[in-house]
Amino acid sequence: MLEVEGVCAGYGRAQVLFDVSVRAESGAVTCVMGRNGVGKTTLLNTVAGLLPATAGRVVLDGTDITRARPHRRVRDGIGYAPQGHGTFAPMTVAENISVAREAAGRAGPEAVEEALELFPRLRPLLDRRAGFLSGGQAQQLAIARALVTAPKLLVLDEPTEGIQPSIVAEIEEVIRTVAERGVAVLLVEQYMDVALRLADEVAVIDAGRVVHSGPRTSLEDGEAQKLIAI
Amino acid sequence: MDALLTQVPIAAAVGAVLLLAALGLNFTFGQMGVINMAHGEFLMVGAYTAFALQAWAGLGGAAVLVALPVAFAVTALMGLALERGLIRHFYGRPLDTLLLTFGVSLLLQQLARDVFGAPNVDVAAPSWLAGGTSVLGVWLHHSRLFIILLAAVAVAAIALSIARSRSGRYMRAVLHDRDLAAVSGIPVGRVDAATFAVGSGLAGVAGVALALIGPIGPSIGSSYIVDAFLVVVVGGLGQLRGAVIAAFALGALNAYSELWTGASLAKVVVFAVIIAFLQARPQGLFSVKTRALA
Repeated sequence: MLEVEGVCAGYGRAQVLFDVSVRAESGAVTCVMGRNGVGKTTLLNTVAGLLPATAGRVVLDGTDITRARPHRRVRDGIGYAPQGHGTFAPMTVAENISVAREAAGRAGPEAVEEALELFPRLRPLLDRRAGFLSGGQAQQLAIARALVTAPKLLVLDEPTEGIQPSIVAEIEEVIRTVAERGVAVLLVEQYMDVALRLADEVAVIDAGRVVHSGPRTSLEDGEAQKLIAI
Repeated sequence: MDALLTQVPIAAAVGAVLLLAALGLNFTFGQMGVINMAHGEFLMVGAYTAFALQAWAGLGGAAVLVALPVAFAVTALMGLALERGLIRHFYGRPLDTLLLTFGVSLLLQQLARDVFGAPNVDVAAPSWLAGGTSVLGVWLHHSRLFIILLAAVAVAAIALSIARSRSGRYMRAVLHDRDLAAVSGIPVGRVDAATFAVGSGLAGVAGVALALIGPIGPSIGSSYIVDAFLVVVVGGLGQLRGAVIAAFALGALNAYSELWTGASLAKVVVFAVIIAFLQARPQGLFSVKTRALA
């Protein structure tokens, strides 16, 4: 579904990613791991189009989208929930969801109902402004907003960061369900236990380079674990 | 006491023009962070549109009504051209944008001098706006009532479309978080351009209103632009209800301090009050509330 091939990217003269290649297949969860500051978020921003790749290619479903602008990529099927459970704070939960569905133009109104079935906690909060949600609620809203664009590829940046364990479990359940429905999930996750529960494939990044990739079981190797240890 | 009451409609009319001028700035400055010094010249263009329709197209009194949509269209197109042609390339560089648009403002003023001449000109109000009505001993010019009504309609239309329409939701999303909007599928570039066009168009409408209250000249925009920026800052960046309150408060402050002190000292009073206010409430009357501490 998604092929990142030899991508280089950075901010100004500071190069962050060096020749990074990652794949995410439909129906599978691909987990990008690594310590703080190794370039995980930069990689996701390059996939979503917020940051241009200075070299290499990003291919979605056989189409080269390396130069496509972010909103085009959403319309092509990339749903992205950036780090820090970002929401449109002044807008209500219902507006946060509907604005993304309308803008992506990939799913009808029924997508909103489907998203609410996955996140029932949001249902009683529909009229509340997103700025007044708790961290866990905001994260659920952020993922719901990505899901109503009916993505082929769901990109999540540390969806469990700073969130209470009961809600982490719910979010994990949603990620599993979405993958089972055939969506490719590209997930940045720092915590080994979450990754071990969710991932089908893993890619470990260190200092802007992919230093390990393979099926989840390959994480049991002590060398790979050392690269992730915080 | 009479003198106090007489100032009420004057204050309200000045407030209404300020509000119309500030509505556009509310989007472009308050939310997009672009300091568009040429915004005042869009007022001037709107005012001269009314003049041109009256003096050149021979529309007479109806010119003012026809000018409302025409001025909106003309200044919206100018705003669009300015955003697409220049400002777009300078997002995130406020100082450069300020200089750039200041240059555009000077160009437009000179253009107006070349086309319409340097002396002020008058736009005659249509006959049905010429008179007035006496209420409680206060003379209400119909033209002033018309301006207040115009501002009310504009505010209502803007508030409604921001709250209810799809483009309103897109606009709020982009203004809150550009990157998040982009990765939600919203074409941020197009939303920027449309926001800028509507904001400029409203300045054009404000210009037509200005033509109703007094003579117009090539530099009329610069006398209103500072006050319009003050409305946005005092009202709270990007806050519609703040802008409404601030515009009328500023209108009243202007009208009454002029009554007691004279025109130039009045400005001093207004600035002193605003500086004191911003010391106490730097975020303005209203600001976006969230659970975040910052």
